[in-house]
Amino acid sequence: MSTMRRELEDSALKAFPHWEVVREREQARATVAELGWFMAGVPEDMGGLGLSRAELGVIFAQLGRALVPGGLVAQFLAVEALAGAQAFAGRDELLESAMAGEPLTASLAIGREGLEAVPDADLASHVLVRGVQEIALVALEGATIEPTPAWDTSRALFSVKPAEGGARLVLASGAEAAALNARLDELACLALAGDALGGASAVLAISIDYLGTRRQFDRPLAMFQALKHRAADLKAAIDTASALYDASSDARGTAMGAMKAHCCEVYKQVAEEAVQFHGGIGLTVEYPVHLFLKRAFLNRELGGSAGFWNERAGRALLEA
Amino acid sequence: MSDTPEDLRHEIRQWLADNAPGDWRDQSTHEGFVASQRAWFAQLVAAGYAVPHWPGEWPGGGRSLAEQKIIYEELARADTPRLLLSFVSTYHAAATLMECASKEQAAHYLPRILKGETWCQGFSEPGAGSDLAAIRTKAVRRGDVYVVSGQKIWSTMAQYADMCLLLVRTSSEGAKQAGMTYLLMDMTLPGVSVRPIHQIQGDEEFAEIFLDEVEIPVSQRVGEEGAGWAVAQATLASERGLTLMELSYRMRGAMTRLVSEIAGTDRTEDRGVLRDLGALATRVDAVCALADRFLQKRMEDEEKIGDASVVKLAYARCLRAWAEMGVTLSGLSGQLHAPITYGDLNSGNWMADFMNSYAWTIAGGSDEVQRNIIAERMLGMPREPRGWKLEAGQ
Ligand SMILES: Cc1cc2nc3c(=O)[nH]c(=O)nc-3n(C[C@H](O)[C@H](O)[C@H](O)COP(=O)(O)OP(=O)(O)OC[C@H]3O[C@@H](n4cnc5c(N)ncnc54)[C@H](O)[C@@H]3O)c2cc1C
Repeated sequence: MSTMRRELEDSALKAFPHWEVVREREQARATVAELGWFMAGVPEDMGGLGLSRAELGVIFAQLGRALVPGGLVAQFLAVEALAGAQAFAGRDELLESAMAGEPLTASLAIGREGLEAVPDADLASHVLVRGVQEIALVALEGATIEPTPAWDTSRALFSVKPAEGGARLVLASGAEAAALNARLDELACLALAGDALGGASAVLAISIDYLGTRRQFDRPLAMFQALKHRAADLKAAIDTASALYDASSDARGTAMGAMKAHCCEVYKQVAEEAVQFHGGIGLTVEYPVHLFLKRAFLNRELGGSAGFWNERAGRALLEA
Repeated sequence: MSDTPEDLRHEIRQWLADNAPGDWRDQSTHEGFVASQRAWFAQLVAAGYAVPHWPGEWPGGGRSLAEQKIIYEELARADTPRLLLSFVSTYHAAATLMECASKEQAAHYLPRILKGETWCQGFSEPGAGSDLAAIRTKAVRRGDVYVVSGQKIWSTMAQYADMCLLLVRTSSEGAKQAGMTYLLMDMTLPGVSVRPIHQIQGDEEFAEIFLDEVEIPVSQRVGEEGAGWAVAQATLASERGLTLMELSYRMRGAMTRLVSEIAGTDRTEDRGVLRDLGALATRVDAVCALADRFLQKRMEDEEKIGDASVVKLAYARCLRAWAEMGVTLSGLSGQLHAPITYGDLNSGNWMADFMNSYAWTIAGGSDEVQRNIIAERMLGMPREPRGWKLEAGQ
């Protein structure tokens, strides 16, 4: 394990030792900014830490493990777009404040038109608008921002319509927009897959603890093979997906999307079983398992669904 | 030896273009199987591609992880036959000899393996499968020999084997695991007889071994008397981890077989089929990445208990899904009986490959046994209560 990887995990464990620690999105954003994570992927000559995608991947997994709320993935995308854009007047100031945690946002939907599934639009100054021909940062002043309450309450999602003629900074157009869009899609998929794997390991650990303490039929539930075997399958599924995740940090296009689809399916599978493992208590709001379940299902849809990516991956194989 | 991994890829691709046996499926029938396997193995040994996982002092050994990947990828890409006959020799026997045997034993046998000596593994017995420690084949020491009597079962390729990794009971005192001893048995010794077993896919890959007062020299013992359980774990560990890099890369290479079931049919526009194919391919990639990660850990001495079980469980389940997709895609024509050749995931026969996939969910510790290991040793879940006894008459 690389030193950087271990350092990132250590600081994450200090900042977010447990899923309960930060439940409030503005505070979560501040903590992540303090850790310097928003600047992690930005090249050093632009004031960032110049970390690799593999190292960013560690951060995303840690955010998922602790169910850190808010529009952090959207902010990572906006930062990446700013860093990847041609220089323009005021870029450095914008980038600096974004790296410091000043909210910027972007849609987390892939493969669809428009600005739906935009987290934290109510807090952000700008939204990243990604078109095929042009990528722009648009000021949210005067925009119509409709909350779209989701089952997963850890992310506040909005549907956004920027104001006509509002301030608009073009970050890339034409072929450059296509290249930047590809980078952003890849980053979004990496982030969501990491979130999925972090969440899956956490909710499995919570379940194993629970099965070890809950007694029925004069013994801990964890002693029953019917449950042990399912837990072992989940462990094997998580390890397998996480090996793919680590190997895919620099994957391109469809390969990254298919990886994301795989990891999110594993999260869903683990979270579903986790509710079942908990019996009645798994259906109560006091118990955290449902939070993981809901986030797992939302992760599956954000960044392009399994159907969307798997179909592309299948087609790519046929055309290879 | 090549300078960079990509040089190696070029080198092996060139070599395969000249040497890969194109007609091996026709030759891998019952009659031709052994000869064609031996010939292909000898070619690979001569070229230095047969045992990339062995340490560097052996010809063709000492390959880095990246080089091993390339070799397996290229062997799969060229659709070469898998080395079924030498599988136990180059993995199980080699791992045992390298990790547990004396220097003399290793120096004696390893070169013979490279010359094509075939080994089999005689662990399982009719009454000892998952509960391997229950073996009863008995060895009694008489001077310089162990006199061995009993029966082994499910021994892959035993009918062709020159040597056998034999697990026997030398004592019934104490824990079941304590009285076991590990021997290297020459299959031509008097008292050894072998009977092939007919398998569901029409093959005879494994066999029963009957042992009647077989005299095995004490010098053929690996480790101390009574230390057989630990040695057997080394043998099994190779089956659970090491072998799976080759196999997972083969499975990825064989994705082309699924693709060719779809290509040229109206299913190229069937979104359900495309999705299934894409999801499966990603799962296969994930298993390859897992096998890579396992080998990396092993090379860096960071392997933990249960890691190998995870690899085996993941591979076995994925292989089943892979073969099942082939069966499904082949439709009714896949249900018509076609003569099979020896093989596993590239035999060219989906139903045969599917039935063969059970080799990985049952052999070498079944999926259920791997799950117990993962749950108890990795996740720390408690063992089931011991001491349960079968009532008389049950
Ligand atoms: C293709 C093939 C090749 C083989 N090659 C060799 C070889 O070369 N040499 C050799 O020595 N052996 C070999 N074997 C034998 C193999 O190791 C055994 O078949 C295996 O260990 C299972 O034992 P069993 O068949 O007796 O099944 P059993 O132990 O009777 O098990 C039957 C079923 O019960 C399940 N089960 C058993 N115990 C438990 C438990 N505690 N909890 C939950 N479920 C359980 C098993 O998983 C299995 O599904 C081979 C087997 C196959 C299929």
